[in-house]
Amino acid sequence: MSKIVVLGAGIAGHVAASHLRRKLPKEHEVVVVSPNSNYQWIPSNIWVGIGRMKPRDLIFPLAPLYAKKHIDYKQAKAISFYPEGDNEEQKPYVLVEYVTGDEKGKQEKVTYDYLINATGPKLNFEGTEGLSPGKNKAHSVCTYTHAQEAWVALEEVIKQMKQGKKVKILIGTGHAKATCQGAAFEYILNVEQELRRHKVRDMAEITWISNEYQLGDFGMDGMLLSYGSNIMKSNEMVEMVFEDRGIHWILGAGVNKVEDGLAHYETLDGEYKQESYDFAMLIPSFSGHGFKAYDKNGGDITEKLFKGFMIVDADYTPKPYEEWTVQDWPETYQNPSYANIFAPGIAFAPPHGISKPRKSKNGTDITPAPPRTGMPSGITAKLVADNIIEMIKNPSHELHHKGSMGNMGAACIASAGFGMTKGSGISITTYPIVPDFKKYPDTHGRKLGKTFGSIGLAGHWLKLALHYAFIYKAKMKPFWWLIPE
Amino acid sequence: MTRRISKYKRFMMMNPIVQFFKFIFLSLKVLVIVAGGHGGTRKA
Repeated sequence: MSKIVVLGAGIAGHVAASHLRRKLPKEHEVVVVSPNSNYQWIPSNIWVGIGRMKPRDLIFPLAPLYAKKHIDYKQAKAISFYPEGDNEEQKPYVLVEYVTGDEKGKQEKVTYDYLINATGPKLNFEGTEGLSPGKNKAHSVCTYTHAQEAWVALEEVIKQMKQGKKVKILIGTGHAKATCQGAAFEYILNVEQELRRHKVRDMAEITWISNEYQLGDFGMDGMLLSYGSNIMKSNEMVEMVFEDRGIHWILGAGVNKVEDGLAHYETLDGEYKQESYDFAMLIPSFSGHGFKAYDKNGGDITEKLFKGFMIVDADYTPKPYEEWTVQDWPETYQNPSYANIFAPGIAFAPPHGISKPRKSKNGTDITPAPPRTGMPSGITAKLVADNIIEMIKNPSHELHHKGSMGNMGAACIASAGFGMTKGSGISITTYPIVPDFKKYPDTHGRKLGKTFGSIGLAGHWLKLALHYAFIYKAKMKPFWWLIPE
Repeated sequence: MTRRISKYKRFMMMNPIVQFFKFIFLSLKVLVIVAGGHGGTRKA
């Protein structure tokens, strides 16, 4: 009998737990440890942030589902890792602390045979002075509660516009090394469309602020894509959309401080500037959770497990951008020091960025961090689950299931406005996610045809269809596993 | 605001009949790319 502990119940953690439970006989134990009581379909948060969906449309409670599916669930947060056990406990364990109910504050040693760390990122708001959801008129859509708060504030601004007030709206990244430009991109287009729907578009000046060097970088070094019968750069496509929607942009901007209605930022030219606003949505930087790890004698071995995020089978040798290769990226998400620990999704430490790193004239790094969206999170979580199942059946087995982001496609269906007849979406797929300049030297590291863009109403329908399909899948309803990650 | 998308293109982008077929096409294309597999890179 094996015990598999999954830390986190986001996209990666939930996918791993659900596949493990479906494929493993009941004598094996699957335990999920998460401080969150609800599963949330994060890609739809932007629709909560414009008031077109309620949080209840994209969440459901985890406890009843896990009880029904025989998955043990502890609403607790991980504190520290003991991959060798300690003087009292022979088995490896994770120290966790319960966050709710009568057990709140109680700590427990959760032992495991296999550990999946799917704790995702810490939303590092404190990395930018003054940036905190709901403060200084700046908001976030990173969680459904943040998105709901953003909508309450935006609704108030819309009311003011209807009364004749002209406003400035600022949306983008709130840190020089932030990622998740895609979510901000979706949000700015949805906000712009909502202002038109409320007939107040002429009362707002909308500005995109980002640490990207060019529009359409998305932390993926931009892309060359098929667009209809044309071949277009992603920056040209996004520029076309922004100009068409009357959205201004500020690029190469590292936001370093937020005051009431005022964002301070540094540019790649080394200038320090400010941008005022009445409503802002700024994505914070992501960081690791600051976990500690100890050996069986209590010695600190954090550097064997963590490098901010968790260390996996990547090549972390520092090297210049020109020497980056797809081979640097992990394939199995297995920790090299402890073969029974894995970190899929956002929890693994990337070997380096994807976008070309850039510094300001003052030496500040202003570069998007590499994104890891829902699709690669789900794919990597499933392959980790499959490898663990094989290890349980044959412990000396080589890991057969591999999925490097350098050999994996991803679809980003970006909402550009909500509505069954008035909505719009920008559908972008990339293959591979990490550009392979040796394999595809003439097309900026990606395969044309599999890397394409499309704009239109169908994109909105597709995003909406994916919303319902993935919530159905997450609820583990009949034949859920037929829906691919 | 600068018009960068022509009236014809905008009509095509927002026409429900045209977009229904586009929806089918996009769904299949995304499925092929995503379900098309993934793997390692080091032994390639």
